[in-house]
Amino acid sequence: MAEATGFRDAFLAQVRERPDAAALVWHGRETTYRELYEMAGKAGAQLVALDLGPEEPVGIVAKKSPEAVALVLACVLAGRRFLLPSPAFADGTLTELFAQSGCRYALTPYGDAMLVAWDGPPELRVAEWTDVTFMLTTSGSTGLPKVVPLHQAAVDRFIAWAAEKFDIRPGRGVLNYAPLNFDLCLLDIWTTLAHGGRVVLVDPDHAANGYHLLELLVRHEVHVVQAVPMFYGLLLYAAMTRDPDRRFASVEHVMFTGDAIPQCTLEQLPGLFPAARMYNIYGCTETNDSFVHELGPQATRAGGPLPIGAPLPGVHAEVVGTDGTVLSGPGTGELYVSTPFQASGYLNRPSQNHRFAPHPQGWDDRRYFRTGDLVRRTVDGEIFLLGRSDFQVKVRGVAINTAQVERVLLDHPDVREAAVVTQPDDLTGVRLVASVQRAEGSRLNSLVLRSHCAKHLPAAGIPAELRIGDEPLPKTATGKVDRNAVKFPDVSPDVQGRVS
Amino acid sequence: MSNVSSNVSSNVSVIKQFLIDEFLPDVSAAELDVDHDMLSDGVIDSLGVLKLIAWVEERFGLTVSDTELDPDNFRTVTSIDAFIANNTRSVPAGS
Repeated sequence: MAEATGFRDAFLAQVRERPDAAALVWHGRETTYRELYEMAGKAGAQLVALDLGPEEPVGIVAKKSPEAVALVLACVLAGRRFLLPSPAFADGTLTELFAQSGCRYALTPYGDAMLVAWDGPPELRVAEWTDVTFMLTTSGSTGLPKVVPLHQAAVDRFIAWAAEKFDIRPGRGVLNYAPLNFDLCLLDIWTTLAHGGRVVLVDPDHAANGYHLLELLVRHEVHVVQAVPMFYGLLLYAAMTRDPDRRFASVEHVMFTGDAIPQCTLEQLPGLFPAARMYNIYGCTETNDSFVHELGPQATRAGGPLPIGAPLPGVHAEVVGTDGTVLSGPGTGELYVSTPFQASGYLNRPSQNHRFAPHPQGWDDRRYFRTGDLVRRTVDGEIFLLGRSDFQVKVRGVAINTAQVERVLLDHPDVREAAVVTQPDDLTGVRLVASVQRAEGSRLNSLVLRSHCAKHLPAAGIPAELRIGDEPLPKTATGKVDRNAVKFPDVSPDVQGRVS
Repeated sequence: MSNVSSNVSSNVSVIKQFLIDEFLPDVSAAELDVDHDMLSDGVIDSLGVLKLIAWVEERFGLTVSDTELDPDNFRTVTSIDAFIANNTRSVPAGS
């Protein structure tokens, strides 16, 4: 892949060439490229006022807003590396993350730099620290979030790919749904600003309000939409109840990512976006996007899971069996990927860096990332995501993959959503608890679902407790099933059919 | 449910009610087939078998010996019913 123009130069070129074009739209107000550049200049003054060492990163605590975008831009333009964690993390987590990455200062979009309270700089152990600007974090669903330093060259390569693939250029509108700290913003926000388009920002405070999303799209023409499946579900529900004839004919590219898209959502998308090509995108913070599957004309009606598709240009992938050997044909195993966009390791987390590994059989010199995702490759070479390969638990001494149990539950025609979690059990050590949303109008009960599980799972894999209800399962802010909330539910009369 | 006759086979409804109360609160008596295998799909786990035996002993005045602790006696409503019927017949009334 040819070296891409750097983000910094590309953005400055847009400011020069089209200063009065809209760069951002926020609650109906436009920010032009000139205004955004001036805002970034003001934010940059904060940086100059601090006694920062040449290599020293800063923390950014910012909810999405034009000011927050300007603050990130200020860092990029100044070549100042920065850590951008979720502002929703607990204070203690933020402090720990800043300490771990050597940030003495945390900046906010409104001009106040906070001194982070921690005990001296840690010993920085990152292989290739130069050329890092963006530092994002993992979600922290399994402990302290991990810091992912992205090389600017990798970011630039991604931006070049995304702009070409989704035709992002002056005059184009791109919807940004994800929070500012998400890797998805590399496409929605940063690719668009590098290529002269207009970003329509969704305020995270209104992200769960389908009517707000509907109105935003009605008021602001966009051509590219990327979001988690939940976004489309909310939007479709809002359109169905308030504006059933609504069509967004300007949208040409619709991408969903982050989770499996429910069939009922998928089927309705062509009606709402009649002119759009649709893509199922697979990626993670560590590698950025690595697979894309463009749906064929009838694919939204076909039913069944969607494949993750083909590797992006320059991406190498292997399916690795439980015995560590690379599968050459069909089979199930963990997905390893190597992308031109990936990080070279976590920052200061040597115990986690085994996930960045050489080719398992030494077939090439690339560095691969062990995604932890369990995939199935068919005889046709299509890859389907099955779940997490590390969701292994032992129940009565038997190794059980909770993702597989979820898959079996979801295979039942009356099951709409399912989550399986473990709970400590005095008798067996660990017990499986399943929460299930049954399909509308279904009278599915635990007996029927148990019989179904017994046919497809070893006895230890049959959940000890099946909670069957009519309500959707709790979701995280990113639209994924929130297993923590499933694990520790509020005592709620909605939860029916508790069975022990 | 209270109108259980003394006919041995009528224990089915009493057994079903116990199983539903104890293990299957979201299931109706009609939905629980008398031949449904409750051990293979985990309706009754190992602790559940013990609860079931304790109930059978208490409700029907039986003593279940170790040799009768064969899980197959407790696999379905039918097998539980048969177990109760066999054991109440083998015990002379009033003893």
